[in-house]
Amino acid sequence: MRRETCKETEKRERGKAVLTIILSAGLILGLAVYGLLLPDQEVSRWERRRLASAPELNGDTLLSGSFMSGMEMYLQDQFPFRDGLRSLKALVSCGLFRQKDSHGVYTAGGYAAKLDYPLDTDSVDYAAERFACVYGQYLEESGSEIYVSVIPDKNQFLAEKNGYPCLDFGALTERLTEQMPYASYIEIAPLLELEDYYRTDIHWRQEKITGVAAAMNRAMGFGDGPEEGWQERRLPAPFYGVYRGQSALPMPAESMVWLETEGMENWTVYDYETDSEIPVYDLEAAEGMDPYALFLSGSKSLLRIENPAAPEENRLILFRDSFGSSIAPLLAEHVRELILADIRYISPALLGELISFEGRDVLFLYSESVLNNSETLK
Amino acid sequence: MLFSSITFLYYFLPCTGILYFAVPKRGRNMVLLAASLVFYGWGEPRFLIFMILAILGGYLSGRLIGACGQNRKAARAVLAVFSVLCLGMLAVCKYAGFLIENFNRITGLSVPLLRIALPIGISFYTFQILSYVIDVYRNTVPVQNSLISLGTYISMFPQLIAGPIVRYADLAQELEKRTCSFEEAAAGIRHFAAGLSKKVLLANTLGELAEFCRGSAGPTVLSAWIYAAAFTLQIYFDFSGYSDMAIGLGRIFGFHFRENFRYPYTASSMTDFWRRWHISLGTWFRDYLYIPLGGSRVPKARWIFNLLVVWAATGLWHGAAWNFVLWGLFYAALLAAEKLWLGKILEKRKIAAHIYVILAAVLGFVLFNAVSLAEAADTFRAMFGLAGLPGAGADSLYALRSYGPLLLTAALGATPLPARLWARLSVGRTGKMVCAAAEPAAAALLLLVCTAFLVDGSFNPFLYFRF
Repeated sequence: MRRETCKETEKRERGKAVLTIILSAGLILGLAVYGLLLPDQEVSRWERRRLASAPELNGDTLLSGSFMSGMEMYLQDQFPFRDGLRSLKALVSCGLFRQKDSHGVYTAGGYAAKLDYPLDTDSVDYAAERFACVYGQYLEESGSEIYVSVIPDKNQFLAEKNGYPCLDFGALTERLTEQMPYASYIEIAPLLELEDYYRTDIHWRQEKITGVAAAMNRAMGFGDGPEEGWQERRLPAPFYGVYRGQSALPMPAESMVWLETEGMENWTVYDYETDSEIPVYDLEAAEGMDPYALFLSGSKSLLRIENPAAPEENRLILFRDSFGSSIAPLLAEHVRELILADIRYISPALLGELISFEGRDVLFLYSESVLNNSETLK
Repeated sequence: MLFSSITFLYYFLPCTGILYFAVPKRGRNMVLLAASLVFYGWGEPRFLIFMILAILGGYLSGRLIGACGQNRKAARAVLAVFSVLCLGMLAVCKYAGFLIENFNRITGLSVPLLRIALPIGISFYTFQILSYVIDVYRNTVPVQNSLISLGTYISMFPQLIAGPIVRYADLAQELEKRTCSFEEAAAGIRHFAAGLSKKVLLANTLGELAEFCRGSAGPTVLSAWIYAAAFTLQIYFDFSGYSDMAIGLGRIFGFHFRENFRYPYTASSMTDFWRRWHISLGTWFRDYLYIPLGGSRVPKARWIFNLLVVWAATGLWHGAAWNFVLWGLFYAALLAAEKLWLGKILEKRKIAAHIYVILAAVLGFVLFNAVSLAEAADTFRAMFGLAGLPGAGADSLYALRSYGPLLLTAALGATPLPARLWARLSVGRTGKMVCAAAEPAAAALLLLVCTAFLVDGSFNPFLYFRF
């Protein structure tokens, strides 16, 4: 083999150096200039959050350093190809370093779920204490029938068999129900399976929970519904759930489906917050950051659904989280007046001024995830 | 400003680079000085004053010592005054709270604590200025008459806030005259990309694992060991990554800083370890404290005293807390034992020696990273099964499964194996050609992947910022 001459070595080294500078400096300068030219984005639909905007520059912000910290966040948030780069990071972490989750989200068998363990007994106790507060303030003397039910997280069907840790759902429900002796427990976990949840989102699928709604209606004495005749409707836009954006892992799109039934057009949904009527299925809200807001417009503190076709005596107050928004229409078929209270957004102390508890049954329906992270309950 | 930030990588560095190479050579120190002040002031605008005072103090002291000529008494007085002022500033900013707290504890008094925020990098630039003034006093370096040049040396942003501690003697010539070339700049870029990857891809992820295990709701023996191993690797990749970035940036601008790490976890004794870990700090203490105290050429009792002083100072340099002092003294004890008897045993048992070094490093860094001595004791008890914890749990097993490959990658990356493998691939004409093409692409790819991690990640300060 011919040995390389000094001149050739020199030439090769020079070529390598020039190529290194061109590639690295080109990458840095190219992205920097492109970033400056790009218009600022207000929100990230993937991450479902507002992105940082350019900080104000003045003497105070400069001296306090808030301009600099604001600028760091702004440049990070507004960096070009942000979503693609986040995906690259997730692929390197999970592909190259073989990490089993990205930002706490893992995928298995085509489903994404978020790690949530171990059981936080303090959190469950806090939730029970907040429910007891509602009971003590409004229900002790009201003669209401009180029920409680817990929605298992997707993890319960996915984690263990795929080698991920998972909190003890039985222990969670036992701890909660022990502290709610005033409420009858409606067990729904055996009625659910993995396919009843969206693949990329935390929530259950409305079209898959008619059995759960029927079991609840039966347990509360509201009949056997949902009746036959519910029609599936589908959002035209592809649906990517919250775990797609959080993890930045590539996941195929899904379809979001909702159920409608005849007579629904006669229902009214009253929003106490805005003193206005809203639709049961809010197609406009579904185009926003969280498409699950399709169901009763998403995060709402206090709503009232009235179904004039339902028996007069069936009245229910549902203390709920976002899972409750999608099951509420299925319950409302048999309920004359269904009030939905989300005590993450309204203090229970204010409820008495807005609604009456007399002659109304009460259901506390919460997901495992909210109960295990209950600091948001007021 | 952090090297591992979008602001630095995509805006500060290109602007500084363009300006630096656009101006005539005689203006380049000025560009570097101005850029360094912006770099420092970006994070801590109010602390700029400390650095400016330190630069002015160092400059005046150097000039005064130079003016003293043969009058050693006067020169010594200038050195003494400057050292007291310089170390006094460091003491007030860094150690006042610690001293008052311990004074209160001993006397039962309640002298109010001084709530002074620590200016970042103060330990590094204080030692650099001191080394300059001491070297001028010793006549080992000439007096620097240009305030701009001295300011550039002290404030130079590549090594300003987390080292390495660069001696004035090493840079004196390059401050006046240096050459920049494509080859040097490209080597600098590669060094920088490697350092950035160590920090962003390895150290930060190891940090997540360490925090995960440290804060585990279900602590176990296994989680304590994973925490200790993850932090031991994190601190290496964090600090050596920063040093690599500093060295790389220096080369881009025509400066040559000495290597600060040489695979310390492959050392065969703790004496060897400290020749490979934070070399610039070790040599600083050797040259400016240990040797002036008499070094090892003194009676045994005095030598042990010297060792204890140097290592207590090394510990205190890292932080004003007892765990740092104990950390330093722990190594002093090991170094003394090695010199007296252990070293001979280690020489004969190579594998046992490596296990001993790793264990000593891991235990040392658990102590180093503890918030309190009680926390360190708890972690040691957990590691050795004395805390009544289960061997493993769902948390720790998951952590091991999820981060095992990374731990393994990091452990291998802390050895010379990857470099040796690369060297073997670069043998022969074809190998050289392939590597010549692969290296530039690898550097750019690493920069891109690091950018992806930075865009996705939150604020990640370097561990050594606090020192």
